[in-house]
Amino acid sequence: MNVLDITDLSIDFPTSKGVVHAVSHFSLSIPHGRRVGFIGESGSGKTTTALAAMRMLASPGFVAGGDIKLNGVGGTDILSLNEEEMRRVRLRKISYIPQGAMNSLNPVMRIENQIWDGIIAHEGHVEPSELQRRSREVLAGVGLEPHVGQLYPHELSGGMKQRVCIAIGVCLQPDLIIADEPTSALDVITQRHVMQTLREVQDKIGAGLILIGHDMGLMAQSVDDLAVMKLGELVEFGTVKQIIEDPQHPYTKELISSVPLVGGESFLDSTGSPPIQEDAGDVPLLEFQNVSRVYGSVTALHPMSFKLDGKVPKIISIVGQSGSGKSTMGGLMLGFNAPSTGQVLFKGQDINALSGDAALTFRKEVQAVFQDPYACFNPFYRVDHALKFPFKRFGLARDEAHVEQAMEEACVAVGLDPSLVLRRYPHQLSGGQRQRLIVARALMLSPKLLIADEPVSMVDASLRATILKNIHDLKDKHGISILYITHDLATAYHVSDYVMVLYHGHVVEAGPPKEVIGNPQHAYTRLLIDSIPWPDLARDWGSAEDAKRDLQKLGEIADRPETVFRGDVSGFALQTA
Amino acid sequence: MPRIPASYLINRVITLFLTVFIAATLIWIIPRLSPIDPADIMLGRMAAGAGSVEGSEDILAQLRENFGLDQPLIIQYFKYLGNIITFDFGLSTASFPTPVSALVAEALPWTIGLMLISIIITFIIGNLLGALMVWDHSPNLVKVAIPAAMVFTSIPPILSGLLLMWIFAAKLQWFPLTGSYGLNVEPGWDWDFMISVLHHGFLPALSIVVVTFGFWALGMRGLMITVQGEDYTKLAEAKGLRPRYILYRYMIRNAILPQITAFALKIGMLVAGQVLVERIFAYNGVGKLLYDAILDQDFPVIQGVSFVIILMTALAVFLVDLVYPLIDPRIRHEGA
Repeated sequence: MNVLDITDLSIDFPTSKGVVHAVSHFSLSIPHGRRVGFIGESGSGKTTTALAAMRMLASPGFVAGGDIKLNGVGGTDILSLNEEEMRRVRLRKISYIPQGAMNSLNPVMRIENQIWDGIIAHEGHVEPSELQRRSREVLAGVGLEPHVGQLYPHELSGGMKQRVCIAIGVCLQPDLIIADEPTSALDVITQRHVMQTLREVQDKIGAGLILIGHDMGLMAQSVDDLAVMKLGELVEFGTVKQIIEDPQHPYTKELISSVPLVGGESFLDSTGSPPIQEDAGDVPLLEFQNVSRVYGSVTALHPMSFKLDGKVPKIISIVGQSGSGKSTMGGLMLGFNAPSTGQVLFKGQDINALSGDAALTFRKEVQAVFQDPYACFNPFYRVDHALKFPFKRFGLARDEAHVEQAMEEACVAVGLDPSLVLRRYPHQLSGGQRQRLIVARALMLSPKLLIADEPVSMVDASLRATILKNIHDLKDKHGISILYITHDLATAYHVSDYVMVLYHGHVVEAGPPKEVIGNPQHAYTRLLIDSIPWPDLARDWGSAEDAKRDLQKLGEIADRPETVFRGDVSGFALQTA
Repeated sequence: MPRIPASYLINRVITLFLTVFIAATLIWIIPRLSPIDPADIMLGRMAAGAGSVEGSEDILAQLRENFGLDQPLIIQYFKYLGNIITFDFGLSTASFPTPVSALVAEALPWTIGLMLISIIITFIIGNLLGALMVWDHSPNLVKVAIPAAMVFTSIPPILSGLLLMWIFAAKLQWFPLTGSYGLNVEPGWDWDFMISVLHHGFLPALSIVVVTFGFWALGMRGLMITVQGEDYTKLAEAKGLRPRYILYRYMIRNAILPQITAFALKIGMLVAGQVLVERIFAYNGVGKLLYDAILDQDFPVIQGVSFVIILMTALAVFLVDLVYPLIDPRIRHEGA
């Protein structure tokens, strides 16, 4: 029997520019106990479809046609329920595990209260001792200690919060669980543990599962069936095996091929060779001399030294999970925060002791691309402003015509059509377009060094490769050295010339990517690589037990920092204390 | 009961004392920058009363000695600091020789009674209406009526006060025109006096509520819109919680937090902020005392009232700082 039948569902959003058909003629059935993945880019309608089953569409969206039925023939017609009846369906019949684990819990309520209020809302008065017993039981089910119930959300890590959300989602043993990108904010190691937990509890209560996501690898390791969505339409549906091994629709093929794989075929044109920078001289372009950074009692970065030679441009990747100290390193290089010990030198000069003109030159020669393409533009100005302003400020502009020409050239260099993006406001452009404009902006200033901090983590998977190609071109065509900060090992594998793996502020392994990522030696690097979900059914992700054991292993690694040095690359020298 | 870290407490106590000390010093410095000599003014007042004054130089010297103005500034300053610790602000020049502390002590209960009650009512009504403007399940009537009521917010309190006086006191004669209590009752803790006080306080309180609830409502509306978009509010709905429970425990509970800080600041302001309301209703509070003192250039009273205002603000902020960790668990970590 099916737990959910969606028939010919259409969802419209009336806007001032006409009606947007967010979902059109979508039909799908989910059998009991089956895991179904909804995959597609942002705006493909996957979340909207799932929210329609909860009757929680964001205003002004509405169901324009079709049926949503719970528990098959003789079951519940979701769309015909009144408000109170619908409220009773939520959590008890269909539960929802939200995307933003970080903010999904009420910050002023203890965890157990947030489990209890759900139980009480559906069962009325329940004895306190019974509530205690049940919250402990569901927390134990997701691998959390009983004392977690008495904590407040801010006292929990991201992974723990997401597991609390799962506990809430299963506490009334619903027929269907909808999990909306439940692991998108988590690092790979925690992601594996959370996904395994979700599968385990879902299996135990026999509920159907809708997993919404955009990561083909995660889907391959987590679901039975896969629904591929594009622009509100179901373009392909089948078992994961069928879809990964024999995709029919061109869009599905694109989704699969856009995932960069460690050891897989490179998406970059590797024939180019970076132009030698003759004017670089003998002084290293960027140098860390015994640099460390301490915040209060936390050491974000342990003392390390490296020299990056500017003659032959290179891409150096810094990889690690959140809290590993990689963004701290980026901030140190940009002079945003001063090192606690040691010096950061750019062309031989301490960047924290630059004055006047030297400081201005440093700002021009060292550019940055940050994670969030939405937050990088001032929403009140047209995007031209962000491109023009630094260009004029650094005295590169001869006249207006020259500025226009430079902007257009920079847009073309990152694969954008100037007539489509210039003179627009940021909100009129997609995330991918904005992020490429940020790269174009940096390029216009002909910098020597680019710090790219998670430049593709917030753009859709299909665009990541393109933007990384743009960044790679900066090295090959424009001779810019790049520090690429990322949590994504697969892209680091393809893009970089040298990789440093950071864990708790220590460099644990460093060397050329083929060695460090292709054949990891340090226990932490191995753990990272093993936790990546592969879009390949033959490579199993391991069981929940494995994931838990690996998490424990992490704790042991933190106690004995050591650096495994792999092969050397000319022009880059690293030392750790 | 959650524990407040000692370091947090010590921090706040130090802040309290520093604020009061700096403010007290400023209150002392500012009048001394003024070219007006208080002894001169008193003499002028005597002269105006008596027609002429014999031996004005001697009287001036005597007055300066009485006020301690003949001593070096630094000594005056330390004497002043010593005095204000015991709430001794000297003697009023306008109502010489009544001590300032006596004038303030007489006026303060009236102001605290009137203002505190009206600001608490305003806070509750304003925030509730602000929350209802955003809440999806509010009746449509509420959503239309509240913005319309906001019109009152743009009326200056002096006008709304006069308007209320005209309608309810002059035309309908439901409430007395002015004063803090009726002439036919004796102050005391008896029933008649209480009724008279409430009867007289109603219009001034209403004029404050009417013009200031919009401040809270608008602030709350903005905060509620943010909270409404938070993931935890969406999850609360997805959990099938009752709408009213979500409104109180998830939305208002979180949105109210910044409003409470603003509330503390308002408590201090209530004395100074409603001077005009006290003035037009001839209400014998601190506001009216301050207003009269400014007209009479009665510096000791101005100083005394200013100090009380600052002390009240600092104490209110201090109290809110103490209460805050109890209502927002995230604060407990700061300073720990």
